[in-house]
Amino acid sequence: MSRGWRLAGIAALIAVLVIALTPYVWLFMTSIKSRLDALADAPVWLFTPTLEHYPKVFLDKAYLPLVFNSLVVAGTVTVLSLVVGVPGAYVFARHRFAGKEDLFFFFLTTRMAPPISVVVPMFLLFGYVGLVDSRTSVILAHSTFNLSLVVWMMRGFFEDIPREIDEAAQMDGHTKAGMFVRVLLPMAAPGIAATAVLCFILSWNEFLYALILVAFESRTLTVGIPGLVTPHGTLWGQVAAVAIVATLPIIIFTFLVQRHLVRGLTFGAVKG
Amino acid sequence: MTVAFRNVSKVFADGTLALDGLDLEFDSGEFVVLLGPSGSGKTTACRVLAGLEQATSGRIEVGGRDITDLPPRERRMSMVFQNYALYAHKSVHDNIAYPLKVRRWPRAEIDSKVREVAALLDIERLLKRRPRQLSGGEAQRVAVARALVWQPEICLMDEPLSNLDAILRLQTRTELKRLHGELGTTFVFVTHDQEEAMTLGTRIAVLKDGRLEQFDTAHEIYHRPAGRFVAEFIGRPAMNTIDGDIEDGVFRSGDFALPMPGWAPGRAVLGIRPEHIVLHEEPSEGTVAFRLDVPELVEPDILLFATCGAVPLVVRTKAERIDLQRGDPLYLEFPVDRLHLFDPQSGARRT
Repeated sequence: MSRGWRLAGIAALIAVLVIALTPYVWLFMTSIKSRLDALADAPVWLFTPTLEHYPKVFLDKAYLPLVFNSLVVAGTVTVLSLVVGVPGAYVFARHRFAGKEDLFFFFLTTRMAPPISVVVPMFLLFGYVGLVDSRTSVILAHSTFNLSLVVWMMRGFFEDIPREIDEAAQMDGHTKAGMFVRVLLPMAAPGIAATAVLCFILSWNEFLYALILVAFESRTLTVGIPGLVTPHGTLWGQVAAVAIVATLPIIIFTFLVQRHLVRGLTFGAVKG
Repeated sequence: MTVAFRNVSKVFADGTLALDGLDLEFDSGEFVVLLGPSGSGKTTACRVLAGLEQATSGRIEVGGRDITDLPPRERRMSMVFQNYALYAHKSVHDNIAYPLKVRRWPRAEIDSKVREVAALLDIERLLKRRPRQLSGGEAQRVAVARALVWQPEICLMDEPLSNLDAILRLQTRTELKRLHGELGTTFVFVTHDQEEAMTLGTRIAVLKDGRLEQFDTAHEIYHRPAGRFVAEFIGRPAMNTIDGDIEDGVFRSGDFALPMPGWAPGRAVLGIRPEHIVLHEEPSEGTVAFRLDVPELVEPDILLFATCGAVPLVVRTKAERIDLQRGDPLYLEFPVDRLHLFDPQSGARRT
């Protein structure tokens, strides 16, 4: 590549980075601005940073348990969806049975209905079984739509692994279960990592189900933020502080699996 | 110890009848080739033997023991796949070691076994590589090494050479023959390539429509085909077969007439291999006149496509006669001991 192209490439990268990062930097700055600076008419770029919002919202207003709730919900949803969805996706990728494609499409249709149309019946159902205002209800609700995501994504990853690998593993001495756990799961690891990140993000960011299904004790972070919109005005500093904390797990999680993620998200593209 | 298919049938979920009452029996230590056109059931037979497919009916026996319902890992068989099926995320060493690891061999023994089989296949320098860094021929050797490392009773190979280029295919063929001689393991080899089958197999099972047509040595299959199908399937070009009648000791088909004294009268199919027909320069007693349509040079031989009335025929002879032109007469002799006679209905050999 010539020098000129290289520079142009770097310039384009910088432009993309600026566009992507500006809101985030702005968010971070708001979280350490005083209320006066945050609401100034002209944006204030130079200010005396303050860390008052963080302890205020997380300790005084007791938002810390909400972080824990969100982590438990998103983590459990991710594990649950993968544990159920990955073997399901394998069956869709490998086996033939009557109505297979219809059933597969049915999984997708669960995502087509607007959530608002499902959430009220779901609230009533959880009410009957006494699960309203529990983390369990949110976990189950999120798992319903994440399961279809897992099945749809992972089927493709399993189909990219030649069927002969299954058979070679059995000839090499594995049972069917051993073949799946010891050979196929490691080979599908990039796909599983990519799917896990998406599952986690979807559940972590979800607002509607969480808002309707939980009241106070088991609120997630997304439900907590609107609580900072008070009749006396929005507490922007605290909103920003919560939002910054809310992005951290996603960033950490993505970094942990990024080695797999790049391969996972480009799996189809680099093949052959 | 014998390996036996006893009346094995396989019907797939979509209704395809892949094996139709297959009976086949061979001894350990043999190099058995399953040969047939596509759809003949040869791959299915191999997979049923491996336990990768379940027989719909019938039994598979090894050494008198019924193994029909055993899972693949309890059959003491290994398999080499057409696309090699190496584990992409493992090194060559770990690929070869894998069957030993799964079978819980002691670590020290695993290492020495892997080195031993790698030396046997001349792939020691590849042990640290990943499968995607291998050429087709190298990947093939690794797959064979993985199949042989734990000394299974039977090594199954499903068209293992068909992804290799022509030269490599010849080399690997010789290599497999050598391996079989050195190890004494039973090999079952699936192919649609008759040349592969003829050179490799101690015995060849010719399959058609899920049934066994003939199970014999290459020599017998070539010289005494059990039926019209085997006769026409083996040989390049295929055996000439002519539909006709035998009457008063003469075989007739249109303008073509060949004295065949002593043969029972009735409808019959006459067969003779292109390379067994003798070409004469002058007409003489016992020759039949044909007219040359197309000469085709296949050094060091020449193929002569000729007709006698409506009866087409191909002759394979030494390429000394490149002077022959389209329309030239050919005086052909059909040696009696080279003739085959088949039943027109069943296709079975008549002797």
